Amino acid sequence: MLQSEKITEKKAEILLRVCAMLMTAGANTSRILLIINRFSEVLNTDAQLFIDHKAFIITITDAHTNKKTTQLKRLPPHAINFSTLSAISQASRDAQDKNWQYNRIETELNKIELIKHYPKIIILISVGLAGSGFCNLFGGDFINMIITFFATIMGLFSKQLAHKKEFNPYFAAFIGALVAAFFASSALFLQLSTDPHIAVATSVLFLIPGVPLINSFTDMIDGYMITGASRFLNGLVFVMAIALALSIVLYLFSIKML
Amino acid sequence: MIFELAVLVKVFWSAIAAVGFGILFNIPKRIIMAIFLLSGLAALVKFTFLLNHTNIIIASLVAASCVGFGSIPIARQKKTSPFLISIPVVIPMIPGYYAYKMLLGLLNLAVHDIKDNDINTILSITKNGLNMLFILMALSIGVSLPWLIFRKSVLQKIRLERKDDLI
Repeated sequence: MLQSEKITEKKAEILLRVCAMLMTAGANTSRILLIINRFSEVLNTDAQLFIDHKAFIITITDAHTNKKTTQLKRLPPHAINFSTLSAISQASRDAQDKNWQYNRIETELNKIELIKHYPKIIILISVGLAGSGFCNLFGGDFINMIITFFATIMGLFSKQLAHKKEFNPYFAAFIGALVAAFFASSALFLQLSTDPHIAVATSVLFLIPGVPLINSFTDMIDGYMITGASRFLNGLVFVMAIALALSIVLYLFSIKML
Repeated sequence: MIFELAVLVKVFWSAIAAVGFGILFNIPKRIIMAIFLLSGLAALVKFTFLLNHTNIIIASLVAASCVGFGSIPIARQKKTSPFLISIPVVIPMIPGYYAYKMLLGLLNLAVHDIKDNDINTILSITKNGLNMLFILMALSIGVSLPWLIFRKSVLQKIRLERKDDLI
């Protein structure tokens, strides 16, 4: 292979890597295109992109040598990470301003991949508080809010455990919903609270895939129908998993909720 | 125009919910406070409208539009892009409750024998599903409203000194 061809291939690879990082971190399609256009301009290429929920196809033309290459990349599982999004868009801006070369972009991407999450315990507590916030919004009293707090923490913990063991993501959501709803319902079963429905109904709300659902409609507004539809269906399957788990728990405790 | 102090409690808790989800989504530390304040504002708008008997779809649209327009100056000040602020802020407004109520209704319809009051179940499924769709639509329209109303050139004019992400 010629040296110039190798360079073009490498450029395509790094652009696909940026795509994959953005998509799995939860960017919408127009944002991905914006950032890829910036990077491809810096790398002195013209990039054409086909975007799907699970794979990317890119064709780039090197402006220097007129070499063309097409590559396809399958994506790793999605894990929403807004710090990555922020860092990549910052990097794309810096790349344009300071005219970064290939190596500089690669080291920057390596650095971005190492961005840390918040400590586990902080995530658990804050999502638990978010759950009890939801409970308050739906009119739950103080006891219901406490039940929802612990139910959400248990649900999230078991969902994270399932993720770590690399279960199917929908099944992980199912497990999370099952644990959370089971905990909330058993607290009611012990007659800790008089109004059963609110704690059970809001204990599973933390699992609702908000980012894919919002992104699906913003994509459709921008005209990217395929990605929009696939994101919407993805969100809907998550909701189905949650509803299935919830219906099992409601049946077990014979709670009426309709 | 009615206003109750009880709304402020809901405002506080939905701001907490937005920040909680933001931390789950690993938002940068420097925008946590901005998300707390902006989601408080959004919740204030939404619940005030709801208290005045506005439909929840319209209330969500208005609140999300406030978020869309509010996120631009905040994003510039915090040197990030507007969507990174507006998406976590609208997360507590996602109609998750309607979504799984619809699916529970469908399951209910599938599992049980045919009864006289099934028509009520069908109506509630339709109502919940439509509410979910329209609220989601309202949220995404509201969040991207600045880009729908103004062309990019107008939005670029309000830049101060820095190149911003306007998508």
